[in-house]
Amino acid sequence: MPVTERVVGQQALDRVTAELGSLVGDARVNFDQIDVTCTPGNLVEVVAKLREAAGIEARFFTFLSAVDRTAFGGEERPDTERGTPLEVLVHLYSPDHATHINIHVPVDQADPRCPSITSVFGGALWAERECAEMFGIDFTDHPNLTNLYLPEDFEGNPLRKAFKLPTRMVKPWPGAKDPEEAAGGGRG
Amino acid sequence: MTVSREELVGRLEADGQGAFVEWFDETDERMVINMGPVHPSTHGVLRLLLTLDGETVLECKPIIGYLHTGMEKECEDQTWRAAITIVTRMDYLAPFFNEQAYSLAVEKLLDIEVPPRGKYIRSLITEMNRLSSHLVAFGTQGLDMGAMSAMFYGFREREVILDFFEMVTGLRMNNNYFLPGGVWEDLPEDWERAARTIVEMMKRRVEEYEQLITENPIFLERTKGIGAITTEEALALGATGPILRATGYDWDLRRDMPYDAFEDGLSFSVPVAAEGDVYARYKVRIAEIRESTKLVEQLIDRMPSGDHKNMDPKITHPPRDELNRSMEAVIHHFKLSTQGYTVPPGETYAAVESPRGELGVYAISDGGSSPYRCHVRDPSFVNLQSLGPMARGGLVADLISTIASVDPVMGGVDR
Repeated sequence: MPVTERVVGQQALDRVTAELGSLVGDARVNFDQIDVTCTPGNLVEVVAKLREAAGIEARFFTFLSAVDRTAFGGEERPDTERGTPLEVLVHLYSPDHATHINIHVPVDQADPRCPSITSVFGGALWAERECAEMFGIDFTDHPNLTNLYLPEDFEGNPLRKAFKLPTRMVKPWPGAKDPEEAAGGGRG
Repeated sequence: MTVSREELVGRLEADGQGAFVEWFDETDERMVINMGPVHPSTHGVLRLLLTLDGETVLECKPIIGYLHTGMEKECEDQTWRAAITIVTRMDYLAPFFNEQAYSLAVEKLLDIEVPPRGKYIRSLITEMNRLSSHLVAFGTQGLDMGAMSAMFYGFREREVILDFFEMVTGLRMNNNYFLPGGVWEDLPEDWERAARTIVEMMKRRVEEYEQLITENPIFLERTKGIGAITTEEALALGATGPILRATGYDWDLRRDMPYDAFEDGLSFSVPVAAEGDVYARYKVRIAEIRESTKLVEQLIDRMPSGDHKNMDPKITHPPRDELNRSMEAVIHHFKLSTQGYTVPPGETYAAVESPRGELGVYAISDGGSSPYRCHVRDPSFVNLQSLGPMARGGLVADLISTIASVDPVMGGVDR
């Protein structure tokens, strides 16, 4: 149905924080979209509430993915705010109010676990499988958490920043940089 | 009693049936067969594992990943500008939509404006792309139902549209034409005549398609009431585009979250159908071809003049003749060519209405000259999940028409 009442920006943020209260931590407006942070334990409740709450009705599951922020800012700009090292990202949309909600769920870097939201949004089945293999995140109580894209014997989690593409790695220049360093003083 | 796989395969091979059967249960005659990944009616390298009871599909499990090349990861190694060459290869039947969604996200992060002409060119090209993509959907839907002529006609018209793309962008697909800030080159001199020819052609030809297929009894028999899902199911699965609209749900991002030229209130309607079956999806697509033709006409009429891209020298290459005169232009050119521009730290999601549904890009910048992360929500990927519920309980022959109606593009599914 066409958008009945457009709720974006501060108004949407007010509604979301009023509905979720202490279930979420940090909440802010980000380019007319709502960013909230919640713990893995609260995720299913948060998602279910956002879907049902009057005035929000985020009934549409847009996507689920993850972000590995360990390389944030790179080596040249270490001062850039790093954020959480590893987080699951759920995006919901309200077709009635045109409200976009990004739910950031920081998870443990060494043993990442997150409950599955498939009980609320069936469409998350594949997204969680993709996320699991690409980031090594365990979605507990997912009905079938097998690899979606990668072969079963694939090692590593490709979308983690620690996973380097061999063809893209900067290789050191094989020769000597200074003529003096080279064998024979650069003349050999 | 379960027959061993070797035994069964041996028996079938002796019958000359080939080794497609994975598993067979003799007590209730259920059979698991493998369809794909190279099968003409699977629209790419899509593999389906079917549990059958005779001809009835009990379960249909898509197995994907045959075209997976890690494009999201590849984007992280490109400059912001060059990552477009990667995203355009995802949904290869609708490459401009990938570029558009990505550009919109990066523009938000950069906080730059696209000049009106840039916006209109983008919308003109994407609406043309919607036509060419729906023509493939129309052609393959017909082909899979045995109406081979639909394929010929659909591809004949698509060819004219691809020629237009070649004229404008230099390429037929993977065009790499949009960029954050606009489009990389202005329309060529003769564009208006070529575009109007396409409008006139499509107006006439879409009537012919309808005469050919829409009331065809065989086509009706094979599509009506087949592969139906409800609005609730579609929304829960995240299915968008013609699949969702065919269930009666009125959803179109061009109207609900206007972007580019749609911000100016172009007049078009959003076709919906109620049944949610294969036939309803076909009807929606045909109606969308009509709407897009109208939109293309409006966009040609209203095409503004001016710059075709944001001319901020920090993000766009200076015009060629300036390089001869201005040292500053040479410096900008050098900087952009060697390391690209940086994007302020931030993250956002931008989406467009592609021929298959909501195509969105979630872009994250850490302040560097390449995307820190670029997640693409591809409609083919999400829509393909709905194939299981659609196929359940139907016949194998119905499954073929259902796949065609989902219109998956494996490049987008596997990314």
